[in-house]
Amino acid sequence: MQIRFRQCSGSHHAGCLRPPWLASNLLLIFIVSIVAAAQSPDQHVKVLLRSGQAALDAGDFARAASDFEQAERLSPENLEVNRGLLLTYLQAGRLAEAAELGRNAVARWPGDAQLWHWLGLAYFKAGQNSPALEALQRSEKLDSARFDIHFDLALVQLQQDQYPLAADELEKAIKLKSSDPLAHVLLGRAYQNSNRTLLAVEQFQIALRLDPKIPLGHYHLGFAYASLGRNQEAITEYEKEIASAPENPEVLYQLGRSLLETGDYKSAIACLQKATQLNPQNADAFYDLGKALLLNGDAQAAIPALRRSAELKPTDPSPHYQLARALTKIGTADEARQEWKRFDELKKAQPQNGGMASGRVQ
Amino acid sequence: MAASLWMTVAASPRQVKSRQPIAKHSSPKNTAPGVASFVDVTRASGIDFHLTCGSLEKRYIMESMCGGIAVFDYDNDGWMDIFLVNGSTLEDLGAGKCHPSKLYRNNHDGTFTDVTTKAGLTHCGWGFGVAVGDYDNDGWEDLYITYLDGALLYHNNHDGTFIDVTARAAVGNAGRWGTSVAFGDYDNDGYLDLYVANYVDLDLDHLPEFGVGPFCQYRGIPVSCGPRGLKGGRDRLYHNNGDGTFTDVTDKLNIDPGGYYGLGVLWLDYDLDGCLDLYVANDSSPSLLYHNDCKGGFTEVGVEAGVAYSADGREQAGMGIDSADYDNDGWPDIAKANFSDDSNNLYHNDHNGQFTDMAGPAGFGAISIPFLGFGMKFLDFDNDGWKDIFVANGHVNPQMDQHSFGVTYAERPLLFHNLRNGKFDEIGRSSDAALARRYVARGAATADFLNRGKEDLLISVLDGSPVLLRNETAKSGHWLSIKTVGTRSNRDGFGARVEIKAGNSTQSAEVRANSSFESASDPRLHFGLGTATRVDSIVIRWPSGKVDKVETEAADQELVMEEGGGVIERRNRQDHLTEPFTKRLPRTE
Repeated sequence: MQIRFRQCSGSHHAGCLRPPWLASNLLLIFIVSIVAAAQSPDQHVKVLLRSGQAALDAGDFARAASDFEQAERLSPENLEVNRGLLLTYLQAGRLAEAAELGRNAVARWPGDAQLWHWLGLAYFKAGQNSPALEALQRSEKLDSARFDIHFDLALVQLQQDQYPLAADELEKAIKLKSSDPLAHVLLGRAYQNSNRTLLAVEQFQIALRLDPKIPLGHYHLGFAYASLGRNQEAITEYEKEIASAPENPEVLYQLGRSLLETGDYKSAIACLQKATQLNPQNADAFYDLGKALLLNGDAQAAIPALRRSAELKPTDPSPHYQLARALTKIGTADEARQEWKRFDELKKAQPQNGGMASGRVQ
Repeated sequence: MAASLWMTVAASPRQVKSRQPIAKHSSPKNTAPGVASFVDVTRASGIDFHLTCGSLEKRYIMESMCGGIAVFDYDNDGWMDIFLVNGSTLEDLGAGKCHPSKLYRNNHDGTFTDVTTKAGLTHCGWGFGVAVGDYDNDGWEDLYITYLDGALLYHNNHDGTFIDVTARAAVGNAGRWGTSVAFGDYDNDGYLDLYVANYVDLDLDHLPEFGVGPFCQYRGIPVSCGPRGLKGGRDRLYHNNGDGTFTDVTDKLNIDPGGYYGLGVLWLDYDLDGCLDLYVANDSSPSLLYHNDCKGGFTEVGVEAGVAYSADGREQAGMGIDSADYDNDGWPDIAKANFSDDSNNLYHNDHNGQFTDMAGPAGFGAISIPFLGFGMKFLDFDNDGWKDIFVANGHVNPQMDQHSFGVTYAERPLLFHNLRNGKFDEIGRSSDAALARRYVARGAATADFLNRGKEDLLISVLDGSPVLLRNETAKSGHWLSIKTVGTRSNRDGFGARVEIKAGNSTQSAEVRANSSFESASDPRLHFGLGTATRVDSIVIRWPSGKVDKVETEAADQELVMEEGGGVIERRNRQDHLTEPFTKRLPRTE
């Protein structure tokens, strides 16, 4: 019998991470037990597999685990049983057990792409990215025609900031299934973070064509535009995102930043004030708020925002640079000198990187 | 001839006839306001020059930094000539094979003749930047050229030839790799001093290996190393002793003690105190602004003045720099070109010793982010009385083209049209093909090559031919050109501040030749006048402190103005435009 397990990705695809099904069907378990007792061991295992799969489909992980564990005791060498149990542990969040079972299973069936895939996901969900990467790469080598394997491998690579590799995997995934908007968004992010911003723009646009309401689609497209210096287009995209998520402080911050870049200080200040209210820990938002206030001619109001930014990011010289300029403008020369000094100290403490120049980090 | 009232000295100006007919320009293609039309006339002009600068792979840092160009009137015929600095390759340098720089004489008809050999400018070396200035006040422009291993000062012999006087003048830059260089009289003694930006102290026998090491990567790909990780070259300031010799005052005046990676040099009087200050653009390190205390000393104030870093206090890769009063508020502002992934700067002079980078709000910054800028020049391409900005771009790593970074090796130049409200509109892409084309550009200079009241452009291109862009903008206003002749001040009048009033507008500008990247431009001040057909007043504040005033001059002419002598010559160029330019000079685009 070939067990039909749901192909569950590590991503948040709808239905993949259902909450545990609360109504465990005790009656069904009872019937299955009676029937099983009257059957041969092989037949019993088959019944348990069917029952386990039904429980998995229903999101009843406790029952699924019970069925598969029972089946595993009866037939420990059965691949389908091991697959079922591994997937159940994975879905139930029993990650340590999933990893242990997965390790044993792949030792027994080293050519099974599915087992490697789920073992990789178990590691990934447990935050063990290196073994996750290894397992998923193994899975991908065994079966390169599976969208979800490429997709999940890319997820791990994105998590590890391996953007060019993630882009490669997502390109493969999209070749197999081009209609998944999330894959396009992730590929766009991989491109964006590997400095292929024009390609990123294309991917975000495709994602938005496939699903105009995909969460953060406009945000990512706006960010790509902004990093190309196309601030007006960025503003348009951020505003579209804000229409559906008006309280997202990160989107508000990026919108404020682009408005600041275009010289629309008043609108920038309004956005950045809201962003800092919604997320009082965002040092960059306080910094840009201070900068916008300063450029708008209100040095006095800029100072508290810049001080807050400096508190939140004590190693960043930039707030001290703006503070020194603001303090100079309001005529407090001594305090300004202190800030110049602090700026200079922090500058010197920063490591040098890059070759010919310090470009803007995207 | 318009009536003229010379306020200081009763000198009778003389009308000067044209020396030779000037070619009339062809019908321009773009006629809408704010639309520029620049036509590539390089081939037709007779300029046949190939800039050699190392290997095409650009395995070492010096292979990306060539491209000096100088526009100057070497033979005093009133027409701008061209000097193009050439580089070399490691192999050819070792083998003694020459890639000569070239001097082209302006034939007054849109064409040029190679006079390099006759002029004696035959030094073989790996050249970079060039400065123009009459260091000995003999009325003839001299040349200073930086090389990978030192520099040369050529004295103009007044007969179309030059002679190397480096050793006697003691300005050899002691084997250093100089880039941009500029003449300016910082102590107002009437003699031009010399600032040399040095980039990296490079040991040719131990060059850093391509792509190996933390400072040999860009966006994760192997590229040529540096400048970070390499020792910066300390800039030099040479004081002109007035007797044909110079004294190195670098240590005495505490110039560039950090040995930053110098790439751009600009003399300007940013605080209008009558003493030339100095702005130096550095790569991957803070740019420096030396405030002149008018007592022979400098204080470095770049950070406090707001021109050392980006608007966020970050180091940038400063390349070409230029200064002009873009908002006509009477104070000189500064524009600086930077690396890609970074914004160019437009430092607005706040009139209090501070600048604010207005690149973002001015529409000048964000658009520049994918571009790596080198040459940077203010000009008024449409003569509307508001300074526009030209930026010559080109990356340093050809490896860019193997990736989809959104950044390419060759890049189109940017032309920013001044919208007269503190904002600019980048119109290069929508202009003629020559501006929309991509180049690996480096130096950029402006000049009115045809003496017809339009500022043309000349850019150098790495491993290629320079590009001479003739300004054919149709909607062009009236204009006035001023050539300054110092008497008590330096002969070039460098540092003189000129203010003109025409109608309701007032413009001001400072005389200089050297700015941009490794380049020197037409030193004549060019003022667009829009619809004004006359200038109501001209005020010149000379470096000596003397102030000259002239009232009422007609538009559309070049005035030669002498310190204390008023208008000593008028060159009315309009009557030269007698013959269709296209008859003899076909377009080459």
